[in-house]
Amino acid sequence: MKGADPDEELVARVGAGEPAAVQALVARKLPRILALAARMLGDAAEAEDVAQETFVRIWRHASRWRRGNARFDTWVHRIALNLCYDRLRRRRERVTDELPEVADPAPLPDTQAGEDAQRVEQALQAIAPRQREAIILVYYQEMSNIEAAATLEISVDALESLLSRGRRALQMILAREGAA
Amino acid sequence: MDAKRFAALAAAYGGDLRRWPEAERVAGMDFAAGDMGVSILRHAGRLDTLLDSYRAEAPGKALHDNVLRTADRHLTQRRRQRLWWLGLGLAGIGLAGAMAGLVLVTVVTPEAGSDHYVLDANATAFGDASPDAENGEESL
Repeated sequence: MKGADPDEELVARVGAGEPAAVQALVARKLPRILALAARMLGDAAEAEDVAQETFVRIWRHASRWRRGNARFDTWVHRIALNLCYDRLRRRRERVTDELPEVADPAPLPDTQAGEDAQRVEQALQAIAPRQREAIILVYYQEMSNIEAAATLEISVDALESLLSRGRRALQMILAREGAA
Repeated sequence: MDAKRFAALAAAYGGDLRRWPEAERVAGMDFAAGDMGVSILRHAGRLDTLLDSYRAEAPGKALHDNVLRTADRHLTQRRRQRLWWLGLGLAGIGLAGAMAGLVLVTVVTPEAGSDHYVLDANATAFGDASPDAENGEESL
């Protein structure tokens, strides 16, 4: 990928064991990783676990990290997504062994924005994980199409296809729910 | 840019042109000024508004502190490892120096040849000075 990596210098300082650089990296990346995991998994506690595990990998590899073909942010997103996939896989295996979950009968939050947010969260969990990943990376993580495609290790055309199908699926689900 | 491509981009990236591929943003802006462009973007924007309502929570203090604690643990461990390797390296250099010295002494110092006269306790600059030798002379 062309262009300078905005994280490269900071990661080098983390690798050298500079405490101020560690704090700066956490401030820069933790909110992004947590948001990514929360939207991928739809579970705040699991998202925190993923964020912590991602950082353990960062600390372990920071001193040896070399840019290569991917930016640091792309590499971090790939780690976090792989950890999310591990959890989704485990969840699927557990669900097949257990009784299906009964829908939560609790009323939706009072405000319209709260209701919409909950509907979007549920709709995101209902679409295919690859489509969800693409939408989260481009829409919420504000990655460029090239960065998102690199993170997912697919072509830009394939990314566009995932995005279109994902957004169409979301629209259908949300329209059924009366939100769209 | 034609209507088909504009609609495909809006369907993939949504109604905000800042999320569109950089290479197609300018052409997209031109098309967006027309009636058809406005209509396509408005349609895509409806889903964007809903997506915007789903905000992620900021990391709590406990998570933030935990992440920093793991960093501290890892960095301390790495520092210790680095010191250990440094010590091992210095020991290695010392050992290599000692070995080199030993080899040098072995190579440079000449071996005692067969034509060398070896001193023994009975030989002096005055010849055989043992008491027996003296007695022998007297007996002559």
